[in-house]
Amino acid sequence: MIKKLIENSTAKSPWLYHINTGSCNGCDIELVAVLTPRYDAERFGFKLTGTPRHADIVVVSGPVTLQSKDKLIRVLAQVPEPKVVVSLGSCPRSCNVFKGSYSVAGPLDKYTHVDVSVAGCTPKPEAIVAGLAKAAEILKKKREGMS
Amino acid sequence: MTEMLWNLFYILVFPGLLFCVIAGLLLAGIDRKVVARMQRRIGPPIAQPLYDFLKLLGKETIIPRTASRTMFLGAPLIGFVSLIVTALFIPIFGFTAFGGVADLVVIIYLLTIPAVSIIMGGAASGSPYAGVGLSREMVAIMSYELPLVLVILAISRKAGGVFGIGGLTFSMTQIAEYQAQFGPMITKWSMIPAAVAMLLVIPCEVGNHPFDIAEAETEICEGTLVEYSGPPLAVYKLSHAIKMFIMSALFSALFLGGAGTGMLAVDALIFLLECVAVTIISMSLPHAVTARLKVEQVFKFFWTFVAGLAALSVVLVWFGL
Amino acid sequence: MIQHFPILAIMVLFFGAFFNLLLGKKSRLIRMLIVLASTGTALGLMLALVKPIMIDGGIVAYWMGDWAPIADFAYGIGLEVDALSLFFGLIITTAVFVSGLYSFEYMSHDDSLVNFYTLYLMLAGGVLGLVLSGDLFNVFVMIEIMTFSAVALTAFRNDTFGSLEAAFKYLVVGSIGSSCVLIGTILLYAQLHTLNMAQIAALLPSNLTPVTIIAFAFLFIGFATKAFLFPFHPLAADAHAVAPSSISVLISGVLTKTGVYGIIRLVYFLYQNIGEQSVQYLLILVGSISMFVCVTMALAQHNFKRLLAFHSISQIGYVITAVGLATSLGVSAGLYHAMNHTLFKGLLFLCAGAVLHQTGSVDLDDLGGLARRMPKTTILFLIGAFSISGLPPFNGFVSKWMIYQAAYERAWMGGGSLIYIFVTVVALLTSVLTLASFIKVAQSVFFGQLPEKYKDVEEVPFSMRAPMWLLALLCILTGIFPDQVYQYLIGPATSAVFSVAGYVSAMFGSGYFEISISAEYLIGYWNPLCWLILLFVVLAAVTLVSLMGKKSRGKVREEASEKSDPKYEPFYGGEASEFSQVGGSDLFWGFKHNLKPYLTFMHNAHSGVVNDYALWGVVALALAILFAILWL
Repeated sequence: MIKKLIENSTAKSPWLYHINTGSCNGCDIELVAVLTPRYDAERFGFKLTGTPRHADIVVVSGPVTLQSKDKLIRVLAQVPEPKVVVSLGSCPRSCNVFKGSYSVAGPLDKYTHVDVSVAGCTPKPEAIVAGLAKAAEILKKKREGMS
Repeated sequence: MTEMLWNLFYILVFPGLLFCVIAGLLLAGIDRKVVARMQRRIGPPIAQPLYDFLKLLGKETIIPRTASRTMFLGAPLIGFVSLIVTALFIPIFGFTAFGGVADLVVIIYLLTIPAVSIIMGGAASGSPYAGVGLSREMVAIMSYELPLVLVILAISRKAGGVFGIGGLTFSMTQIAEYQAQFGPMITKWSMIPAAVAMLLVIPCEVGNHPFDIAEAETEICEGTLVEYSGPPLAVYKLSHAIKMFIMSALFSALFLGGAGTGMLAVDALIFLLECVAVTIISMSLPHAVTARLKVEQVFKFFWTFVAGLAALSVVLVWFGL
Repeated sequence: MIQHFPILAIMVLFFGAFFNLLLGKKSRLIRMLIVLASTGTALGLMLALVKPIMIDGGIVAYWMGDWAPIADFAYGIGLEVDALSLFFGLIITTAVFVSGLYSFEYMSHDDSLVNFYTLYLMLAGGVLGLVLSGDLFNVFVMIEIMTFSAVALTAFRNDTFGSLEAAFKYLVVGSIGSSCVLIGTILLYAQLHTLNMAQIAALLPSNLTPVTIIAFAFLFIGFATKAFLFPFHPLAADAHAVAPSSISVLISGVLTKTGVYGIIRLVYFLYQNIGEQSVQYLLILVGSISMFVCVTMALAQHNFKRLLAFHSISQIGYVITAVGLATSLGVSAGLYHAMNHTLFKGLLFLCAGAVLHQTGSVDLDDLGGLARRMPKTTILFLIGAFSISGLPPFNGFVSKWMIYQAAYERAWMGGGSLIYIFVTVVALLTSVLTLASFIKVAQSVFFGQLPEKYKDVEEVPFSMRAPMWLLALLCILTGIFPDQVYQYLIGPATSAVFSVAGYVSAMFGSGYFEISISAEYLIGYWNPLCWLILLFVVLAAVTLVSLMGKKSRGKVREEASEKSDPKYEPFYGGEASEFSQVGGSDLFWGFKHNLKPYLTFMHNAHSGVVNDYALWGVVALALAILFAILWL
């Protein structure tokens, strides 16, 4: 019974950690907009945390640059299981306009398994909320598969 | 035998473990909902703190390389348990489970143990963010301790002038008795500044906005909790919720007491409603409308303004008001 | 039989010193045997006196060489042991015994150990002689013995930086104190023609002349120097920081107690003027200032032992304040705290010694993360730190709680004033600041990150941990069973403080006063045993619940499995982890920032120049004389 409770709660309380790997800040601003009164992602239990140790969902925005590559890998490793990786915007998906630059080492799926990818430059807040809700579902599934 | 069973019931169900956990989670949920409504958001469901707690139980616990294991895992538990024990000493109108064995000063000291456990846990994790966090937590403790002490002194004289031996009392039972006979403490003119001071102390003691300098997630990555994950973090979050309940319960017991109705269930319900009111006034309202203060601002605020209010109460009591 | 015990206890220590010098060069074993035998015997003799004095309420009077008083006038040297003396005697012998045990291993790397143990036994004998003596001049002699052995022991590790300087400071300012005691004794002798304390107590209150009033000022300052009260506190800081830790235990736990003992004897027995408001205010003022100034000084320290030294004075400030309240609750609280202070401060100094012994450093900015290398010492340190910070259920809480009650209660008694409320607030505040500075030590020595150079540090051997455990155990026991401690130790000592008549008549067989003990009550309730039971029940319940849910809980992952996995690195915002310790000096910025003017002033005032400190002493003496002239 406790197991069931935990699994159900996992979907209802996903905490986010946001990594910017060289984004232009557009996606970052939209992610914060999701938490504002208009969209209010907190009603689904989403919460921004300050450290990867507390996080369930890691949101990555930006093409992975050479500078941020090591840091990205390290932070992703530091998130406790179960975790879900969400790529936010076109950059982590395809490097977008930065593709081919000498300083870009992306895209994101070279380095980690991406569970949910929200496209757009920048994605609409509605799309982000939908993506995060999807990620929460995946999170629950991962938790079920854990034990 | 029956007495022992009753004691066990007190400890484990009401007003001990189970009641504290439920009340704490409920208050935390109401707090989040009210803050959301004040900001014209829909807000999370009332049960959100429970979901958070259960989810964290199911997460993996990572012990970082720099941590000292025993302290890192033991600290949250000690803090949590001593909080529960503290709750046993707080009277609900006329009812106290173990009120005879502890007094106001003891309660204040017992309440520092959870704070120390957070500090010790943070220190044991070995992270520099936690180092900064624990320093801030300690500054917060130093800040609110002065006004809190003054509030206690004022109350102990006010109630003890009637009951205590030698003209003062620290006994929770006698303070409750005084309020049962003479009406709630907050209706006394000389106690109003102390009540305001106490309302300002509560968010700092609990670690809520605008005094959450120790767990500032945007500045120092959750401070002392930076390395915690999984069940230990769940225990900390639960302790935080219970601390909200205990502080508002302490306020209710000290300032909003009264004769009660004589029926424990009704009394407990009224008491809980008082706690909700205190939580909304002293924690949700500042949370919704203020930004976080700086460390030195917190210290200055408490040692000048809040301590001044509390001292005013002491002086008023001194002149017999 | 029993009346020979006090003198035997003193003699056995001095003979130990003598034989140690004679035979101790031969081998370590002989030294150990001599030290253990003499300190153990002294402790045993003191314990044997508990039954007749503490429980049966007797007083042991002893005339050396059987020179009993002739026609009610004392000519010989007397020893008089009432419950107060025995109480301090017990504290002293316990601390001496523990410190001796610790020294064997701790001092094993030093040379000329014969001299060390000789001085150590001389110090112990002097201190014990002081509290058991019934003769004012003998008190002075013992003060001299104890001061000079303490000075020599401070400079014992004369290869350490600053040890000679500290010893010199101690010598100069300590001599001012000793001279004050001597001058006070001379003045009293000139007026009363007797040196026996019981006789002085009987004669003095009715023979107050300007000369004896000045003598009060001299004696008070003399004993205040021995207790390192404000403004003599810088001495203690310097001396503790460089003295071997086992000696720091004695200087802080024992030497300061002689000052407290002297002041209690002075105001409650010799002059019996504690009933006067001005004397109460004097003690409370000195106590509160010592309490607050030293705790703020301690917050600014970054040397482990210096920090402990300042706390020592801060705690003695509590004791003096409590004693100055002049109520029986106040005195019991003060005595309780005096005992607790010896226990927890001894423990903390031994922990500092353990750290010094294993790492070679006591610099808070330099150490860190030792909890992973020395887990047992860490636990011991935490017990000591929580005791001194007054966290329940340790002993510091009980005595501090009694002090708050006594102080606050005094505010509403006859002759009470707002000053007592202020004192209560200062006492409570000091307690929080004490907690803060021990959090600082915990973070910067035992927790936080382990510097590379200390990664092979090892736990101290059992022979050093055993004495620490002894003190830790006493800390816990006196915290959990306050009623029993009160019944057998504090209560009798308190009633001894209030029964001057008994003290006098035990020596002269003639009673002048009625024995009066005011009623004892506490305004609050605290039952540590009950709390502990509750704690364990809840702990058991929580553990049970968590065991039940074990299957569904997430795994606890260990670092050991994968050493290089970035998962177990501490979070550095994504950067590779590197050594980054939040040092002791950097903590509590918000607090220091707001009190900057005060702290800067204090920093500048403590110049470290011996001339300044001597000047402070002389000024304090002048003020004390002024006080005596104006208000006595």
